[in-house]
Amino acid sequence: MDRHGVERAVIYHALTEEVSPIQGNLLLEAWLGADGRLVPQWSVMPTAASLTQVQELHEQRRVSSVRLHDTRVAGLPFRPWAYDPLLAWLSAQRLPVWIPLSSADADELVTTLQGHPDLVTVLVGAHYVHHLQVRPLLAHLPNAHLELSRYEPIGEIEALRDEFGAHRLVYGSWYSQYAMGPMLFYLHHTDLREEELASVCAGNLERIFRRVAS
Amino acid sequence: MIDGVQVIDFHGHVGRWDRYGMIDEPARMLHAMDAAGIDRSCVSNIFYPDGTTGNDLTARFVAQHPERFIGFAYVSPLMPERMLPELARAMDSLHFAAIKLYPPYTPWPLNEAQWEPIYRFANARGLAVMFHTGVEPQSLPKFIGEIAPHYPRANFVVGHSGNTPVERGQAIAAAQAHPNVYLETCSTFRTPGVIEQLVNEAGADRVLYGSDMPLMDPRPQLGKIITAQVSDAAKRQIVGENARRLLRLG
Repeated sequence: MDRHGVERAVIYHALTEEVSPIQGNLLLEAWLGADGRLVPQWSVMPTAASLTQVQELHEQRRVSSVRLHDTRVAGLPFRPWAYDPLLAWLSAQRLPVWIPLSSADADELVTTLQGHPDLVTVLVGAHYVHHLQVRPLLAHLPNAHLELSRYEPIGEIEALRDEFGAHRLVYGSWYSQYAMGPMLFYLHHTDLREEELASVCAGNLERIFRRVAS
Repeated sequence: MIDGVQVIDFHGHVGRWDRYGMIDEPARMLHAMDAAGIDRSCVSNIFYPDGTTGNDLTARFVAQHPERFIGFAYVSPLMPERMLPELARAMDSLHFAAIKLYPPYTPWPLNEAQWEPIYRFANARGLAVMFHTGVEPQSLPKFIGEIAPHYPRANFVVGHSGNTPVERGQAIAAAQAHPNVYLETCSTFRTPGVIEQLVNEAGADRVLYGSDMPLMDPRPQLGKIITAQVSDAAKRQIVGENARRLLRLG
């Protein structure tokens, strides 16, 4: 982070991706320093135990965002009948939710999230294989943002800025899966204006997090 | 241009793959190149097994901006009778600079006899041959280590440097064993430390910047080199000097 000029990073524990959001969240605690540069992102799934864990963290005012654990792989789709209670609570608490696109179904995203119009989402990990989904998702989900760590179709950052606005785009590195510098280099070699670049690299996330506190 | 070095992207394409946002509009490609200081891009069209159709499209594309794009010839052993005449036409009439091969579109691993006429052609003319490499059984970089010593006048470029860790190890081993093997850097996997590994284990004189443009924007792929923890001299070799030498550019 110091080498690339990154001041703060939102982090989740890798164990939450494939194994257990509850255990992974417990392991995340050890990574959090006192200086606040690593901002915890707690993972959650629609079970009572997982929701209770996040609710307790929220009561301690330690939740600024959550990340959805993939349940589709285990047969529970991202459908209203499965996710509405969790999403309704997140929406009521004004908590933003990060949703990995690698494990998502575009139809389920639109159908389910449209039932929670105030819920702020960040769609993470978009790859060129998601290219056909990105525009319809941003068009139909006005509170959705696109995280950019893996999104490399040619010229698309500038094109999405033109179509949807820089306020819908969020810098991410996916470190330590990916190197931290290349996406920053890319963003600094686009024709984004200075204020747009500042929004993508920091301001948009700060705005999303301020919403929780307000 | 970056710090006086002509930046050459060794891995680019002509052709559209619309579902993934791959659009070969020159203006879009030049915009991305100009924004990051990329002077020239090597392009080929791998979508036509006859070679001729795609190579003609590549030639027309290059002709629009000959100072910015360099054509590479594509042929396929799916149509073996076309390979050598088409390679000769691509080099002598279309003035292409190297050969691109894409083994996943064929059933044959790179070390099988179906590919040998291409290697002999490249060896006879001292050309560079760039391969797509990766986890596919046809595309394993270890095959290039088997091929390279038999064609010492040709140079072999391991596209994507194998892409993933095990295959990257094979690519590096091939480069360590044979002076005519080079490693190209583009990959959808931007794993930390890869550029450093290639430089430290194979040598900066054997690494070539590539992007896969327009499937991928050339800027983050160039960013891999620029933000890597290698010397400035190594970066200059990777982003342009090695390609100039390999393609004998003036």
